[in-house]
Amino acid sequence: MTSTSVVDPAVERAAGSVLPNRRPSRRGWVGYALIAPFFILFAAFGAYPLIFAIQLSFTDWRGSGSVNWIGLSNYTYLLTNLEFWGSLANSGVMWLLIVPIQTIAAVAVAALLSRSNLRFTKVLRTVVILPYVTPMAAMAQAFILLFDTNFGVTNYLLGFLGMEPIGWLTTTFWSKPTIALFVLWKTSGFALIIMLAAVQQIPGEVYEAAAIDGANRVRTFFLITVPLVRRSVAFFVVVSTLGISQMFLEPYVLTKGGPYTSSKTSGLYLYDHIGASDLGTGAANSFLLVILVLILSLAATKLLRSED
Amino acid sequence: MAVQTMPVSSRPETSVPVRTRRGIGVLLILATMAVFLFPMWWMVINSLRPGASILNDPLGFDPRDFSLNNWRGMLANIPIIQALGNTAVVVVLKGALTMIFCPLAGYGFAKFDFPLKKQLFTFVLITLMLPTLVLIIPLLVQMGELGWINTFKALVLPGAIDAFSVFWMRQVISEVPDELLDAAKIDGAGILRTFYSVVVPVIRPGLAALAVLSLFNIYNDLVWPIVAINDERHQTLAVLLASLATNVTGAQTSASSADLWGQLLAASTFATIPTVIIFIVLQRHFIRGLLAGSTR
Repeated sequence: MTSTSVVDPAVERAAGSVLPNRRPSRRGWVGYALIAPFFILFAAFGAYPLIFAIQLSFTDWRGSGSVNWIGLSNYTYLLTNLEFWGSLANSGVMWLLIVPIQTIAAVAVAALLSRSNLRFTKVLRTVVILPYVTPMAAMAQAFILLFDTNFGVTNYLLGFLGMEPIGWLTTTFWSKPTIALFVLWKTSGFALIIMLAAVQQIPGEVYEAAAIDGANRVRTFFLITVPLVRRSVAFFVVVSTLGISQMFLEPYVLTKGGPYTSSKTSGLYLYDHIGASDLGTGAANSFLLVILVLILSLAATKLLRSED
Repeated sequence: MAVQTMPVSSRPETSVPVRTRRGIGVLLILATMAVFLFPMWWMVINSLRPGASILNDPLGFDPRDFSLNNWRGMLANIPIIQALGNTAVVVVLKGALTMIFCPLAGYGFAKFDFPLKKQLFTFVLITLMLPTLVLIIPLLVQMGELGWINTFKALVLPGAIDAFSVFWMRQVISEVPDELLDAAKIDGAGILRTFYSVVVPVIRPGLAALAVLSLFNIYNDLVWPIVAINDERHQTLAVLLASLATNVTGAQTSASSADLWGQLLAASTFATIPTVIIFIVLQRHFIRGLLAGSTR
């Protein structure tokens, strides 16, 4: 049952509730017919490619020509390759730049908003989620211009303050933070929606009890709000970790992974194998990533749900 | 001791008056909104400004300067209308598959009994965890073998009936009372009739959320299309924009590209406006969909 521990307990409960169906009167073949399209499509475009990819990862196939079985060479090549580890490190830095701050800020803002009934709260929710629905490539284009070294708005403002322009997307130091900023801008609304829903489910009496006990806001936040939204935090962290480990479009569009390889994330490194027709290595790379992501997700789930 | 008798909002530890604190709160909210809106606002405004002004005075705002020149140039130089048409085709076809087969599969899992049902449903849940990235390379090879590279088939079929939507629709449909289904059965309604005349009306909110979420997912999808499509005739809006953006990364910082900047901003605005309008109109359904996703 290791596989289900990534899934929310609600799902497991739902799966369990399928079993005792009180009305087995409807004929079996209809059920199969209804679910068949999913399985047919999955067999064709999910299972088949997956099995093919496993085979592929043990070959040196480059998209055409002969297929040579080379055992674990692709895996050992990657595991002894600095670029592979560098791409993982870049993704790790992206994760550190994005996930902790986004998660903590989302919980804090959700807690403040849901209890304060300030004006504009509803509008804020709409505005913050808006970037999440916009086409990534379109907004990335605006960001490229906003963060341009010579003509961008950010450096224009720095100039006002008498500061030197910064190569946001063109220096090895700033490329990752700038991409992270774009991702934060684009996805924080999603985090906020998740956390708002979680915070709103906390019964008001809990807070009244805390107030009677004389707990201040900070204590209330850390001792009541945070533990009670733990499950949503776990969900969000797992989803973001999955997303960041696969992220390749944001750096691809904003910096092409550069300068040098400073913003080449693990997803973009994998995508590069396609461009180089190095399909065997690419397949091996994808499985290494999946293994890593599964371990990370399980660890995150264990950690954040340890008290369940 | 005094703490216990005081109202929650004015505990003595905070010496700042409530009114001031609320004022600061509202200001913070407005500032946050400004930060999140600024890139979009800047993009729209500058799509109307001459390229040279965008470069020389990026924060300038002079409505007398506004013109549709960038938009005209964009329509003349960038095949964006065709890309929009392609996106529309994919949205309609893939959306139709999702909207027909995911609820039906959910219906099967929620309301029918058959051997191995639990195992099959667990299988659906497991496929949820399969990262798209693993499938890209083998799918690309498969599309090559089928001759589907640069076709709508490649954009529409993979992932059209996705595990999450099936799971979600099963949740939604399992809340439809069995009594309603039995009543329809007694009336002699067939399985599909029952589905369309009894189940669908009850789960309409869930279907609306699924439709809106799928619409955005398909419209903005780029991971698979950017791999599967490399010709202009079949590229979707998202693919076109990505290629424009990567071009500008190469061409940036030269003042000669000024006009190009304006046209790129017009193209980005063109692609973004529909999402903003649709989102504002259908926000309720979209957020319900997002939250349904968070229970998986």
